[in-house]
Parts: sequence; C-alpha cells; structure tokens
Amino acid sequence: MMASTYNAKDEDGHITVAGPGGGTLRSRKPENTAFKQQRLPAWQPILTAGTVLPAFFVIGLIFIPIGIGLYVTSNNIKEFEIDYTGVDMSSPCFNCSQNFSWNSTRPCTCSIPFYLDQPYESNVFMYYGLSNFYQNHRRYVKSRDDSQLNGDSEALTKPSKECEPYAFHDNKPIAPCGAIANSMFNDSLELFYNDPNGTKVQIHLMKTGIAWWTDKHVKFRNPGGNNPNLTVAFQGTTKPVNWRKPVYELDSDQENDGFINEDFIVWMRTAALPTFRKLYRIIQKKKDMVLTLPRGNYTLEVVYNYPVRSFEGRKRMILSTISWMGGKNPFLGIAYITVGSVCFFLGVVLLIIHHKYGNRNNSADISN
Amino acid sequence: IDCNSLRYPSLYKPGQQNLLFNKRQFFLCTLQGLGTSFLLFFIPYGAFSVMVKEDGSQFSDQQAFAVTIATSLVIVVSVQIGLDTHYWTAVNHLFIWGSVTVYFAILFAMQSDGIFGIFPSNFQFIGAARNCLSEKSVWLVILLTTVVCMVPGLAVSFLRVDLFPTLTDKQNLRRVRRTSSRRSAYAFSHQQGYGELITSGKNMRMSSVSAAPSAGKSPHSSNWIENMLKRKNEVLISGFGNKSK
Repeated sequence: MMASTYNAKDEDGHITVAGPGGGTLRSRKPENTAFKQQRLPAWQPILTAGTVLPAFFVIGLIFIPIGIGLYVTSNNIKEFEIDYTGVDMSSPCFNCSQNFSWNSTRPCTCSIPFYLDQPYESNVFMYYGLSNFYQNHRRYVKSRDDSQLNGDSEALTKPSKECEPYAFHDNKPIAPCGAIANSMFNDSLELFYNDPNGTKVQIHLMKTGIAWWTDKHVKFRNPGGNNPNLTVAFQGTTKPVNWRKPVYELDSDQENDGFINEDFIVWMRTAALPTFRKLYRIIQKKKDMVLTLPRGNYTLEVVYNYPVRSFEGRKRMILSTISWMGGKNPFLGIAYITVGSVCFFLGVVLLIIHHKYGNRNNSADISN
Repeated sequence: IDCNSLRYPSLYKPGQQNLLFNKRQFFLCTLQGLGTSFLLFFIPYGAFSVMVKEDGSQFSDQQAFAVTIATSLVIVVSVQIGLDTHYWTAVNHLFIWGSVTVYFAILFAMQSDGIFGIFPSNFQFIGAARNCLSEKSVWLVILLTTVVCMVPGLAVSFLRVDLFPTLTDKQNLRRVRRTSSRRSAYAFSHQQGYGELITSGKNMRMSSVSAAPSAGKSPHSSNWIENMLKRKNEVLISGFGNKSK
C-alpha cells in the first residue's frame, strides 16, 4: 500500500524521488482533482430515528393490505383434488395399481366418481399431481440431451453421454433419450359429467396451450427440418424403454407430435420439489355465461399406465381455477400479513425504546 | 470539512485497535450470511410448492425456482451493501445500481434464444427468466424475501446507533442537517499529518479498515468501542495527534 521509497517530504507535500542517474525525476504526485483526491460530492444517509421508524411503519402498512389481498384472492380460487393411486382396497383403482407390468398390452382402466359442490366458472385447469417423485434428483435432471430435443440430426443418432443408460437400446439410439423422457407420465384422464337426467356427458379437454411458448417453439424442435412425415424423420431410432408408443405417434395432430408434443414438453420441464403438479388439460370456458363445470356428480376415467406404488408415490387429479396471482397459494398471503404485522410491531417497539432511552447519549462529548 | 478529522483524532481509535474487523465481527457476519441463505431458500420454497402461472401453466419447476432465488439473492445483497454504504458518491451509485442492471442483462442474455441456438446443451435455462420474471407473484416473493432479510439487520443497526452510538455516529448525527458533503470515502485518514507516522511503522498493527473503501462499518462495532472506552479512560491517539503537528 505505502511504498517504501519515500525519501523526504517538503513542506507543501511535494514528493521527490531520487532517480537512477542521480537527478530527480518529475513529481509523481497525483493530480489534485476531486476524483483522484477522493473528494467527490457524496450523499450521506444516516440511520436516525426520523428515517428508520417511519420506514418500518410504512413497510408494515404496505405489506398488510397486500397480504390480505393475496389471501382473499387465494381463498376465492376453487380447487378440487382427488387421489386415484388406489392404495385402499375400497378404491376403484386398487386392482390397477396392483397388477402392473410394463409389457401388458391391455391397459387397465378404472373410474372414480366424485361430486363438485361448487360450480366453476371461466377456464378450469386440470392438473395431474405426483407425490414422492423426485424430479429434482441431480442425476435425473442431467439425464437429457437438449441438442437432440432441439432437432439436431447429429444428436438424434448419437445421444449425449448424459443420457446413459437410456441412450441406446438394441444398438439403436433412443429418441428422446434420458431418464426424464423415459419416465414420462402416461396415464390418460377423462372427465365425464353425470347429467341430472342420467346421461354421461364427456367434457372437452384442450390438450394444447399447456406448455410454455418458449419451450414449444424454441427449445423443442422436431428433427428433419419441416418434414411433415415424422416417421421418416425419426428413422433409425427406437422408442424409450418404458414407452408404449414411439415418439412420433404421440398425437395425430402434426403440431403436437414428436418432440413438440405438449404433454412431453410439460413433463420434461423438471419440477423443483418432490410433490408437484403439472398441467394436463384445459377446460375452456363456454360462451354465453354458461358455467364451465356446474355443480354435480362427475366421473373420472383413468387409463392407469403409470406405476407409482413401488416408491410409495401418489397420483392425484386436480381441478382448479386461476387468478392474477396464479393458483391457490395461501403461503404468500399469510407470509405478507405476518411480515407486515411484525414490521409494524417492531416499529412500535423501536419507537418506545427510542423515546425512553434514545437521546441520552447524543450529547456526550467526543472531542479530545 | 477535512479538519474534522484533526479536531477529533479519537475517531481513529477503532481502526487502530482493530475493532472493526476481528474474529467476532467475522463470526457475526458469517451468522448473518447463514440466516440470509436460510431465508433466501425457504421463503421461495414455501411459495413455490403450489405455484402456477397466470395462464395456468405449471410454474413450480426447477428453473423458475432457481431464477427466483438467484434474483432475490442479488437484490438482497445489493440492498445490504447499499444500507452499509455511508457515503454515496457517484462511483458508489454506479457500482451498486450497475451490479443489479448487469445481473439482469446477463441473466436475460444467458437465457435468450440466440445463445441457446449456439450451445443447446450448456444453456438449458432458455426462456426461464422471461417466463419467470413476468409473473407478478414472483416479484412479490422477491420483495418479501428482501424485506425479511433486511429488517432484522436494520433494526439491530438502528438500535446500536440509537442506544450505543459510537464516536463516528455522534459525529454524523451532529451533521445530520447537511445532506451533502465533500467527504472522502476513506475514514478520516487522508490529510498529510499522519502519513509518515503510519508508514514508518511506529504505530502498531495497522488494520486494513482505515484504508477500506466505501463502507465505514461503525455501527457494528459500537459495543466493542463502548467497552473499550469504559475500560480505558485514556485517549492515546489524541496525544499523538497533538505531538506530530
């Protein structure tokens, strides 16, 4: 920091240094500007009672209404959840959960009746939820090849090493490779409304518009350019080990087939926590102010393909409406109310302390 | 303005007695870091367990979680630094606001379509920042996390300044009317008077604090200083100050 080549200091602080030849070099004194002499104009905020205490009160007064708003909004969101794993003997899906094998050609179906006691308006979102499923396991998350999913033809036939052991099967490359793709959720859920006069009306479920726009249009692309024939584009590859159908038969709709199938995209976006829900279908609101889902009896028909009993997992179907802050999330509302009240209370406490003890020390002498 | 440092040479004491950066302060800083990390993870964790976006599509995924926590972190740290900065020169403004701006610039650059096109396997977070930071609930989470991390520190600092003001604090309070001052960022150590004294090593271990830029960490040391002052009722440096001139 301080050089040791100080020789002498003149009265006015002018530093001279002896040069190698014996003469004096020109002065190395830095310029006398505000920037170099560290005399810049500065704003000096000081923590006085006049600034800190109002800040606490203001924070409290802002947060409490926000919290109340969030909590009320969250409470107005309607949500219905039904667990269809089939753990109990009495559950309709118990048989399906017991006899399971990957090779069974005839899928097991079960149907669960339920009752909605509140009518649902506007768009209703249908989610499937899994519990105890660690999509955030490190090795699992790495097990994918984004180049292959982006339609790169070279990566299609040579998947990356991260996908091992789900990269090759029968000497053919797997498309899509990796453990995430291999464990894709493949239950089919259908919703039926039991009319008061006894007929079962199938509720129309939209299967597009469930993935992020950036995912569907940028991140995931089918190989082979714009070749509409996906069977040709995926030639030379094989389906993942645990899938029943290859990737180019995921949907008859061209826009939703192959890698850009939205269910596949939604599954590939790995969840952060072991209990998660993913968007499955959207029930769009009907015209003319008709209720999307009126109150009454419904039936959930499940094609039970996905085994979760082996790791004590659970499967659920969730129906939910949406608000400006997303789904039903009481945590934020309660947290805001709590923090706001704590801040306000703290402000009051600090005010009392400041009044009683604060000003005593300020007049003490600090000079020599 | 600079003559304040000559008039109150006892303000030099904390630096020379190594009161502002010792093991205890370091330990307290570590503790504060631990607490902040804890809050930075668990508040978004609580909020994200059932989050969905405004259009209903799923949201509780790893990448959005990561972006939320990272953004909260950068904002909390910047606010913390801002609160600790005692002299806001133009340079300070540039670096503090600049850090936050550059963070967002880099975040969006790393998660843009362009760089994903070049290196798909390395930049997997494409689209995460755009989708995540356009949600109102994410900003509410970030705001909540910031406030929760700042409030305890602020309360403690305020209590220290109010109940146990250090000499520096009292000095500052006397000048509380003046909002702008041509103040150097160095803590009182620039006039030529003490230069040779310090470099010649006559003083004991010169702590790094008095040369530390920007932050004068006086509120943290108030307890130490008060204890030292009460125990030793002599003023060493004031004698120094008088003799060397």
